[in-house]
Amino acid sequence: MLGAVVIPSAHLGHWLWVFYVIPVLIVIAGIIRSTRAEKKREREEKGGTKHGPKPRR
Amino acid sequence: MNLALPYAHALVAKQDLPIPAWLFAWAASIVLVISFFALSAAWRKPQFEEERWRLSAAWLTTVLRSWPIQILCGGLAVFLLGVGIYAGIHGTEAPDRNFAITFFFVTAWIGFPFVSAIFGDVFRAFNPWRAIARVAGGAYRLLARRPLRHLAYPERLGRLPAAVGLLGFVWLEVVYGSSGGVAVGLEPHAAGVAACVYTGYTLAMMALFGCETWCARGEVFSVYFGMFSQLAPFSVKDGRIGRRRPLAAATRWATSVRGSTAVVIASIATTSFDGAEDGAYKAALEHVEKWLGEAGVGPLATIRIADTIFMAATVAGVAIVYLLGVKGMQSVPGAPRFKELARGFAHSLIPIALAYLIAHYFSLFVYQEQAQFTYLLSDPLGTSTTDLFGTAEYGIDFSALAPNLIWYVQVAALLAGHVLGLTLAHDKALVYWRDYRRASRSQYWMLAVMVAFTCFGLYLLSVGAS
Repeated sequence: MLGAVVIPSAHLGHWLWVFYVIPVLIVIAGIIRSTRAEKKREREEKGGTKHGPKPRR
Repeated sequence: MNLALPYAHALVAKQDLPIPAWLFAWAASIVLVISFFALSAAWRKPQFEEERWRLSAAWLTTVLRSWPIQILCGGLAVFLLGVGIYAGIHGTEAPDRNFAITFFFVTAWIGFPFVSAIFGDVFRAFNPWRAIARVAGGAYRLLARRPLRHLAYPERLGRLPAAVGLLGFVWLEVVYGSSGGVAVGLEPHAAGVAACVYTGYTLAMMALFGCETWCARGEVFSVYFGMFSQLAPFSVKDGRIGRRRPLAAATRWATSVRGSTAVVIASIATTSFDGAEDGAYKAALEHVEKWLGEAGVGPLATIRIADTIFMAATVAGVAIVYLLGVKGMQSVPGAPRFKELARGFAHSLIPIALAYLIAHYFSLFVYQEQAQFTYLLSDPLGTSTTDLFGTAEYGIDFSALAPNLIWYVQVAALLAGHVLGLTLAHDKALVYWRDYRRASRSQYWMLAVMVAFTCFGLYLLSVGAS
């Protein structure tokens, strides 16, 4: 009986491209995150110089 | 696990990979990210801005640049072009049995980029149109007792005529000749006529603008093969053969003449389209063809129109991905103008263009060259009436390459090409942004471009031609 069961996987191949897009999306997400963090740090540094140097801990 | 792979131009084989094909894309992406961080940490000064050209042994120049060798190479090229045209027009209409198709579209078209990337601008010596133009120019000088006057080449066009010609050549092969079932589906007669038309056009342009000017700007094959020769460690300077730092010449190739970016993008896009036509695009192509058919367009025109649309879309897609990367770079403080950046980083795509070429055509080249040097050489017309070298009955040994080996070569080529592209881009960024931190930041987006091209390339190769 089990041998007669057919998994409907004929169209799975149409979605294989998703696996190739995932690394691209991960890299883009990483880039956006890093860019935002660096811009934020630059803004803070500029803000620091505007009102005098930041106090060191 | 068995996957059917399109070995470019409908040569399909089964492979048995230890892991799913998409995992190779993940691994390649990780390698690219690691390479990016390694470059950012360790590569802080530009290395490719100077070629560091050094003269090679004098006998090399004496022998290879001698008149007898030049006449021999040029004469052989003209002879083979003539054989190709004659075989195309008078030979069999079976593309796989006619010398013209394999010679034009495999031996020359795929062979010269491989050779050029290793030995430099070899095609210059084997360019049949340059050879004819030089002889004709010499004869004119002798008869008229003055050199032929040429028009000034419109520099604003740069290498655009070559980029358009490159698209035209691939369109002829892949779209106009998409008959399927054989390595190249173009009818030999059409290839022969096209070679005649191109010969007339090229000689006319050489007469108008000068042989060397046209070869450097508009002659499709000189520009295309010359692009790959920029990666080679050998070059000719002031008539002398020398060695230089590999890849270094590429940095100036794209910035010195307009339209070079278009040539590289056209190269990557056309190879991608050729790989995708029978695989990744197949379902979408069939959809558009059905829609065109319902609109009353004839069957052959339907295929050609749909293919043309998808080829144009691929060119646009590759260009958009690259230009988005450039746009991202521009967001880093201290960036030059967009146009300058787009031109300045175009050379980083040359190794990728070569990688795509190797990945898509390596197996086809190995298989078809067996035909080229056996039965096609003995029976160029394919009419079974001649057996010049006694090899007319030979065939292609398709077991010469194991399917897994082909896949590993494809993955290695794509990965190496993209790591080299990333290296060239990082090196150029250090020229535009003296601060290495900003240079590295500018390359975030080029990393995304490289990962996107790698995954796209591997996806095209992995999709089975069902």
